[in-house]
Amino acid sequence: MNVALDARRLKAAEEFRAAGVPHRRMEAWKYSDLRPLIDAEQVASAPAAQWSIEAEGVELFDPAAGEGAFAGIMGEASLAFATATLGLRVKAAGRVRIAFATPGQARLRIVLDDGARLDYVESAPGGGLQNIGTEIVLGRGARMTHARLAQRAGGARIGDVSVTVAEGGCYRLHCADFGSDLSRLELDIKLRGIGAQAHLSGTSVLAQGLHADVTTHVDHAAGDTCSTQLFKLVAADKARAVYQGRITVRQGADGSDSRQTAKGLLLAERAEIDLKPELEIFADEVKCAHGAAVGDLDADSLFYLRSRGIADDEARALLIRAFLAEPLDEVEDEAMRAALWAAIEDALPGAMGQP
Amino acid sequence: MLEIKDLHAAVDGKEILKGLSLTVNAGEVHAIMGPNGSGKSTLSYVLAGRAGYKITSGSIRYRGEDLAALAPEERAAKGIFLAMQYPVEIPGVTTLTFLKTALNAQRRARGESELDAMGVLKRVRARASELKVSEEMLKRALNVGFSGGEKKRLEILQMALFEPRLAILDETDSGLDIDALKLVAEGVNALRAPERAMLVITHYQRLLQYIVPDRVHVLSAGRIVREGGPELAHELEAKGYEDIVRSAA
Repeated sequence: MNVALDARRLKAAEEFRAAGVPHRRMEAWKYSDLRPLIDAEQVASAPAAQWSIEAEGVELFDPAAGEGAFAGIMGEASLAFATATLGLRVKAAGRVRIAFATPGQARLRIVLDDGARLDYVESAPGGGLQNIGTEIVLGRGARMTHARLAQRAGGARIGDVSVTVAEGGCYRLHCADFGSDLSRLELDIKLRGIGAQAHLSGTSVLAQGLHADVTTHVDHAAGDTCSTQLFKLVAADKARAVYQGRITVRQGADGSDSRQTAKGLLLAERAEIDLKPELEIFADEVKCAHGAAVGDLDADSLFYLRSRGIADDEARALLIRAFLAEPLDEVEDEAMRAALWAAIEDALPGAMGQP
Repeated sequence: MLEIKDLHAAVDGKEILKGLSLTVNAGEVHAIMGPNGSGKSTLSYVLAGRAGYKITSGSIRYRGEDLAALAPEERAAKGIFLAMQYPVEIPGVTTLTFLKTALNAQRRARGESELDAMGVLKRVRARASELKVSEEMLKRALNVGFSGGEKKRLEILQMALFEPRLAILDETDSGLDIDALKLVAEGVNALRAPERAMLVITHYQRLLQYIVPDRVHVLSAGRIVREGGPELAHELEAKGYEDIVRSAA
């Protein structure tokens, strides 16, 4: 029994019940309305999610102790209600492949000791209600690469990730989302120690009426911290792709450097892409750059390629791949990059209106 | 090779070509000269099949076939190549990948076997050195960060690689200094062949000093108003368009 955590869980449950299932009148969930899909009772009584895992260099523990940090309301729900829990501790170098096989709720806590490294690949096939809350703690100089593949699915799929990075640590995320009735990855990253870094990149490729939302909050709480974000979203048919990214540079976090780019490619008139970058700066000596833009396939480029003999469909696919290439180029692991490209290739015909 | 009869074409509902007729035979190089706004670029886009360039009446026959019925990629596979005035920059696609994709798409459409990466590279290399297209350029994203001269050289490299039957050069001289112009012109001249026709579209006579045409046509307000031999280009240079166009009217 851990009295402190139990108290924390009870408080989380109370807060969740008071707030209810997030919906579009809440600012943070403006583009992702969960209420038509599930109610609070379904969240509270969601079954334990099951997973398969391959792990090396990792100690398993019962994550009873901990701060119980979360990024958003659904992360708070996972803290309050998840009965499936998993703790992973890395002392030197670890490798984890985890696939969530069933709908349901789970709560994970990943701890990297000072100087440790972890290569973590997660796949979330979704279906029904899937709510996975992950709390990540990186020690001094620790490095984690987190790849998340969210396959095309149905139902509500939520990933809530809270990360704290100590001095000199580095968290890297590469995510790809192919949509669900509602799919959301919400991240809260605290760069707590001097020189801590976070590098996030991701893609969404959506067809039909599918939805995918990436919501990030990067908090520069110490000096000389650095964050980069690069997201590319493609929406076809009646799909909706969302990126919301808030960056906070706190007072005293001088020498911080933050860059944020989000671009959307609309392939149909009824598709929607919502990009919402936000900057809050309370420090004096900082470098911040952000940009967001939505466009459609460039007619000049398309004509150029076709005039060289490349058929319309192939030319469009080439331009979509070119649009997506930048965040994929950031993936250092070749096998991971190939896997992400393969998933994009699978999704392309659907996004281009082919059966 | 190419037979254009009384062609009328419109862009955004506005008629730009107003009864243009032109015949180009295999082995010939024809120059189309004309002032700004005379319809030179429209003609090149209509021939290449750009969306939005609508043929309202008249006909274009290419090797006996009605060109209007063909998509741009079909025209390319059948041997039409347009060297563009403003080659497009495409980040995320390397130049070599683009060349391979385009060459193989054309070959596939013609029922020829596709070439592997080495096969494409060999063909590209065989033509690249004369045009001073470096290996490093081929590895960069298509036209991204290329100078004006590099872009035009890459256009001519494509022409050499695709071996078109009808090459249309739209203002290939624009933005080139004299050295770059000579290099491009040499590249084009090397491709003159009895089975190949070329249509060189230009505002200035300068390019035609290096690529000497068999025929020169003056385009004004969407129609050919004068035709002649290469000497017509010199006359234009001396007198200017206004004089020629007025005397033709």
